[in-house]
Amino acid sequence: MIEPRVPVSAHSHRTRFGGEAKVAIAVFACLALFPLFVSGYIVYILPQYMIFGVLAMSLALLWGVTGILSFGQAGFFAIGGYAIGLMTNGSLPFGGLFLGLIAAVLLGYLVAALIGYFLFSAGVRDAYFVLVTLALSIVVEQLSVSQSQLTGGWNGMFIMRPTIDLGFTRIELFADIPVYYVVLAAVALIYAGLYAFTRSRFGKVLTGIRENEMRLVSLGVPAALHKTAAFALSGAVAALAGALYGLHSGFVSPSIGGVLFSTEVVVWVAIAGRSSLIGALLGGIIVSSLSNYLSAITPTYWQLALGLVFILTIAFFRGGVAGTLERFVANRRSAQP
Amino acid sequence: MNQLLSVEKLTKRFEGLVANEDVNFSVAEGEIRSVIGPNGAGKTTFISMISGHLRPTEGRIFFRGTDITALKVQQRARLGIIRKFQTPSVFLGLTARENIELAVIAAGTPRGQRQTRLDEVLDLVRMTAFADREASVLSHGQRQWLEIGLLLGAKAQLLLLDEPTAGMTAEETHATGTLIRDLTQRLRLSAIIIEHDINFIRDLQAPITVLHLGKVFCEGSFEEVSSNAHVRNIYLGNE
Repeated sequence: MIEPRVPVSAHSHRTRFGGEAKVAIAVFACLALFPLFVSGYIVYILPQYMIFGVLAMSLALLWGVTGILSFGQAGFFAIGGYAIGLMTNGSLPFGGLFLGLIAAVLLGYLVAALIGYFLFSAGVRDAYFVLVTLALSIVVEQLSVSQSQLTGGWNGMFIMRPTIDLGFTRIELFADIPVYYVVLAAVALIYAGLYAFTRSRFGKVLTGIRENEMRLVSLGVPAALHKTAAFALSGAVAALAGALYGLHSGFVSPSIGGVLFSTEVVVWVAIAGRSSLIGALLGGIIVSSLSNYLSAITPTYWQLALGLVFILTIAFFRGGVAGTLERFVANRRSAQP
Repeated sequence: MNQLLSVEKLTKRFEGLVANEDVNFSVAEGEIRSVIGPNGAGKTTFISMISGHLRPTEGRIFFRGTDITALKVQQRARLGIIRKFQTPSVFLGLTARENIELAVIAAGTPRGQRQTRLDEVLDLVRMTAFADREASVLSHGQRQWLEIGLLLGAKAQLLLLDEPTAGMTAEETHATGTLIRDLTQRLRLSAIIIEHDINFIRDLQAPITVLHLGKVFCEGSFEEVSSNAHVRNIYLGNE
């Protein structure tokens, strides 16, 4: 019998992620109770940070689960924002809220699927893929400036907050509280969907790609197709986040599709930890709100401060906050008799 | 025995360097074949062409009578031609169970049968006791066995084993030989094994092909090959 090298019960992937659902329930419960104790600007702005959390999850799905880094998430976010704007502001002969949301998701999905198909089937990997996604952000930003007859150019596009007609009832999305709960419900649903996805057969294959792509291909898995599908799903989620952002803020502009914003998303996820969806969601909420706060109190140095935190995270805590916590919990479990 | 795999005049050139030349070779169903030769003889190139990791410059590869020369790695794997790499290639961040689960998923095993299949494979490679350990903490020998388990989970028909005992102790090497013989007999699998450990090759009691300078130098049983003066000269040594 071949004996193990390390005589400890090493933590398993399943154990490490087993607690995520409990953390998620606690996070969403806290978020649901939040407006009962707090009011004012924070109740208005928190949904926007939650939407940034969805954008962060779209990257975690790609980077954390599949091992593919993208600097193009803001590009998809802008695609979603402009799609919902065009579909709800009467620019097109057809439209509406639900059609707009579907169009945003489909557009994000298709653009990502097209890029992913050509890049992954041609065997483009790692750094080169990052460069192409970086270019995507630049292209989307430039298009949103140059196609001003549709997008409003640098002036941006205004989007009316909608009324949701569910048939039996109508929800007016003008006051902060209904908006807060509608966004919270949407974010919770998106989280639950992505969490279930990562635990599905497909999600497990993506984890295999992250861990050892060559091994997986040598077992008969068409990794390029799976990576394309993961990128397409990530693009769709980012575009959905963009559509929700457009509806919430009532305004989209070229800067939401740019490289700077894409880089910010990478920073959120790197600091919070890409290994868990709830970590990424919290990263999107906390780091983006912190950035906003820092930019208000020190407009000159806030990016420097964020940059330093980013460098320290990459240098000393590669798994980010979530990864470090997971390791800590796993080590404690291993140490128990 | 029915022929499972055959190669005809397989040649691989790398910009002037001939790694394999006119290699003819075959494996029958349920048969183990050993491939030996000195370093640089073209053994790994040969197995890479069969697995699809390298395209032959010339020659053809047949599996169950069908020409598979143009098929990609994953297409060949789906037919059951699956390779174990020289350095164990497993999913280090996942547990042994999750490793095998990925292989079972790769084979397209229906959801309802996955757990049974997973347990079966863990038992076959004697990993049940270590199933919940992360692959990164397993010993080198256990990773070698886990990788063999991946091949089984993915329903390999032809195991391509590139130095399956590399880095193992004598005891582990012996146990690995027993495991491979046991698996091939019980599951009627075929195997092509590249190995340097001559005691392991002897214990396998399988037909041996000796490669030298990319060509088939000679073939036969261990006794025939080891008594060949030229083989002793180029590979086994004259002691």
